[in-house]
Amino acid sequence: MAMTMNGEINLAAAQDVVWAKLNDPEVLKVCIPGCETLEKISDNEFQAVATNKVGPVKARFKGKVRFSDIDAPNGYKISGEGDGGIAGFAKGGATVRLTPNDGGGTVLSYDVEAQIGGKLAQLGQRLINGAAKKMADQFFEKFGQAVAGA
Amino acid sequence: MSATGIGASVRRKEDFRFITGKGHYTDDISRPGQTYAYFLRSPHAHAKIKRIDKAAAEKMPGVLGVLDGAEMQADKIGNLICGWMIHSKDGSPMKMAPHPALAVGKVCYVGDPVVVVVAETLAQAKDAAEKVVVDYEELPAVVDCAKAKGATQIHEVASDNVIFDWHLGDKAKTDAAFASAKHITKLDIYNNRLAPNAIEPRAAIGEYDTGSESFTLWNTSQNPHVARLVIAAFVGMAPENKLRVIAPDVGGGFGSKIFIYNEEVVALWASKRVGRPVKWTAERSESFLNDAHGRDHATHAEMAFDADGKILGLRAHTVANLGAYMSTFSSSVPTYLYATLLSGQYAIPQIYCEVDAVYTNTAPVDAYRGAGRPEAAFVVERLMEVAARELGVDPADLRRRNFVKSFPHQTPVIMAYDTGDFDASLKKAMELADYKNFGKRKREAERRGKLRGIGFSAYIEACGIAPSQAVGSLGAGVGLWESAEVRVNPTGSVEVLTGSHAHGQGHETTFAQLVSERLGIPIESISIVHGDTDKVQFGMGTYGSRSGAVGMSAIVKALDKVEAKAKKVAAHMMEAAEGDIEFKDGTFTVAGTDKSAAWGDVALNAYIAHKFSGQELEPGLKEGAFYDPANFTFPAGCHICEVEVDPTTGETEIVNWSAVDDFGVVINPMIVEGQVHGGVAQGIGQAMIEHAIYDDNGQPVTGSFMDYAMPRAHNLPSFKVGMTMTKCPSNPLGMKGCGEAGAIAAPAAVINAITDAIGTENIAMPANAATVWAAIQKTQPRAAAE
Amino acid sequence: MPTVSMTVNGKPVSANVDARTLLVQFLRENLRLTGTHVGCDTSQCGACVVHVDGVALKSCTTFAWQVEGANVTTIEGLANGDKLHPMQEAFRENHGLQCGFCTPGMIMSAVEMVWRKGSDLDEQTIREELDGNLCRCTGYHNIVKAIHAGARAMAGDRGPAQQAAE
Repeated sequence: MAMTMNGEINLAAAQDVVWAKLNDPEVLKVCIPGCETLEKISDNEFQAVATNKVGPVKARFKGKVRFSDIDAPNGYKISGEGDGGIAGFAKGGATVRLTPNDGGGTVLSYDVEAQIGGKLAQLGQRLINGAAKKMADQFFEKFGQAVAGA
Repeated sequence: MSATGIGASVRRKEDFRFITGKGHYTDDISRPGQTYAYFLRSPHAHAKIKRIDKAAAEKMPGVLGVLDGAEMQADKIGNLICGWMIHSKDGSPMKMAPHPALAVGKVCYVGDPVVVVVAETLAQAKDAAEKVVVDYEELPAVVDCAKAKGATQIHEVASDNVIFDWHLGDKAKTDAAFASAKHITKLDIYNNRLAPNAIEPRAAIGEYDTGSESFTLWNTSQNPHVARLVIAAFVGMAPENKLRVIAPDVGGGFGSKIFIYNEEVVALWASKRVGRPVKWTAERSESFLNDAHGRDHATHAEMAFDADGKILGLRAHTVANLGAYMSTFSSSVPTYLYATLLSGQYAIPQIYCEVDAVYTNTAPVDAYRGAGRPEAAFVVERLMEVAARELGVDPADLRRRNFVKSFPHQTPVIMAYDTGDFDASLKKAMELADYKNFGKRKREAERRGKLRGIGFSAYIEACGIAPSQAVGSLGAGVGLWESAEVRVNPTGSVEVLTGSHAHGQGHETTFAQLVSERLGIPIESISIVHGDTDKVQFGMGTYGSRSGAVGMSAIVKALDKVEAKAKKVAAHMMEAAEGDIEFKDGTFTVAGTDKSAAWGDVALNAYIAHKFSGQELEPGLKEGAFYDPANFTFPAGCHICEVEVDPTTGETEIVNWSAVDDFGVVINPMIVEGQVHGGVAQGIGQAMIEHAIYDDNGQPVTGSFMDYAMPRAHNLPSFKVGMTMTKCPSNPLGMKGCGEAGAIAAPAAVINAITDAIGTENIAMPANAATVWAAIQKTQPRAAAE
Repeated sequence: MPTVSMTVNGKPVSANVDARTLLVQFLRENLRLTGTHVGCDTSQCGACVVHVDGVALKSCTTFAWQVEGANVTTIEGLANGDKLHPMQEAFRENHGLQCGFCTPGMIMSAVEMVWRKGSDLDEQTIREELDGNLCRCTGYHNIVKAIHAGARAMAGDRGPAQQAAE
């Protein structure tokens, strides 16, 4: 079950600040909905555990998160795959671009492509777009707070 | 006709326990010390298994075993098999891939069982399954059967994913017939994939007794003896005499409970491994993943006509999706149960059919109510209706011109129709549907802004499956006879042990009606015993509308023997010559005298054996019989569907359903009509709302009743059901079979009606509101824009 | 484990159960009342319908503790001793069942339908009211007939919930 989503938000912080936060595992951990752990295992790779719910299916995903196509401070691709046990799996990535805006802040644009499988897809597929949108909103709400507080 | 004999709508004997909640379905059974199995299934459609880590799961509370396919192989448990051999055009055998009950090395569809967790409670088993780690390496998934050939290879044995390329008929002669044709009608058809969805989910309890070294399996099976045979002889669990299979009350089958499935094999094996009974009951979401699906054929078909509208030939090319593995009878469905019915009710001089069967990364596909015959009827009856429209002929008239009118009739595709009267069922259906006033109703509907359409389906099917020698020559791995044993007790009550199995068909009533009629005893004195391999002699089970024509014929044969023996006993009792004994309405009389003996007295005398020498005549009154059919039977009929379409929404309502069927002799009209209703409902479901869908990655997206549209009461009309009768000449009761007729007839009738209403042939099943609306937009862009 | 207590088919029952225990599991496993069935896991099929204080309820999506203290009737408790409930009789008389698996839920829903809608039910009302009950065998034709007849036979029975409300 493939899903795509894109959008952009304005952040009230300079591009280099936003970029730093985007690379700070502690910030990401707070912002990723349901994230329990995010541990660095190499320069561009993290081990993550997150609990999320899609419709009737709740799953604890364990997996790796990677940064690639790094173009500091303009953007990167963040991708990962999570094994949700008997609930199935989720995998995908987001291309993130940063550009300065007129007000001294930064425009963050994102382009997400994701796939779910197993019980998540079987029972949750009609709800996945809504769930993903909600998670993105939650992420950026927290991320906006994190950069604003910097 | 007696009140409980043949032809009476006797109320069902089995109903009391069902309406009071006292049925015994598999999940209702609890064994002492019972444990629970939970299956960890593949979330991927196609992947290699790199590693399975069970260590954490094994330490979870209540866990008794965490078992995988490698351990199963180490215990020498064999693979599941497909029992019908099909050869390709070049003579090579079908390419049957290994089908382990728990995946070994790779998974081939979403839901493929990988690990079983056995625990004290189901919740503990599920919790532990969460701790099992399976590393997969994903592979590209093959989903669409039309694109399967040459796509990513799924099994080593089938390099291009083609299982067989098979054909039937004479290609050269058929092509020659087409070359001389005045008109050719062509159609591309997709026969949509269906999930069978008996309301009782499949279930199994495996139990191993260490003392006797024997297994017992309770399962939701339509054919417990076949399950025992396969699990003993091919899977190698235990010899047949050490394996008892019990299929108690079964909550609907529709074909899906014929097959031997992974979970029942695993439950048996696991019960020996953990030393406790192991129970598994499917959740509905598992049913959607693992129960064998039905249909999924893509077909191009053509029919050739001469200048008088007579059919010269039919040719078809079908790609059949058999899913990830070959299920138990999967290969027979798109071949001998399909192409052999392409002559329909018509005299067609030449027919040629090619079928490519392919593997895909989807659930296995096998027989589902009708099994091949609905697909054949859909091809033939859509072609006929479209041809009538193209030729400007009334569809009833075109059919009449081409009906087979003399019997026996040998078709070019194996079948020899023995009897029928297709004109009669068409005529009666047209009366029932008030066909002559359809134009008036159509105009009236137009005034209300509705599009009204009418569609015919004059179907034929081959049932009474089947003469063993004949099916053996076509590749069947088993004989398709049936068995019966009639046990008369000393007090005159009777038990009939039958190899058929009822899961809604009402055998406990109809079979008892036959015995009541023959022996003249009350129906309450007769019990029908089925579904237990320890009680009943080997039998072939229930599918293909065969229990009446084959199963009851076996009972007739056994009853003949019982009567002959009873006459001998009565002759001794009344000191008369055996040839002078007559038997009628439960009483034995001596011809030309007033001497008589009641049934109960004769039964008692057979057992006490005081009136005859045990050396001359064996005591007791119990006879068995095996009946092998002489031919297939050919139920046929005509269903007419009338619809009203709302062109602004595509919403389609069935406003009239008229079904006229010829099932030969009918034992219980109430039950037979019920079978027609249910079959038609499933056929309407296929035509209008049901579709099992996988996305491009092989993820099922219709995996629950929230997304897979099941016919509900408000989707369906009440049905007008009528019957005609030509007696089947090949079995003693003259029966043909009724279980699948509705599902075979209905889809073409619905689509013929909808296409009539909307004026385009270009619509696929399921013709739901969105599909119908879209088709209307394509045909009438201007009307829609206004 | 919490204790749940309720009255089932007129008898008081009480048990310590895992808080996750569904009403249907409590009925089937603890009380061995296996007439209430499970046909799906999404509250769609209605094979699990029972009456809780005279209201039809899908017991597969209700925790046992949620009906603490309630009066529960299952298919096993519908008949009055040896005398079948008129709706049970109507299902048998009209061949409103084949495999019997959906039947307990169908009958329980049908009885409550009559309590809510009265005993003079037309075909359309019955079909719409059956939206929450799936049957794969009968095509509903004879179920509709059975409910129509059963409703007539129930004339005057307004059910416990209605009576309590008055």
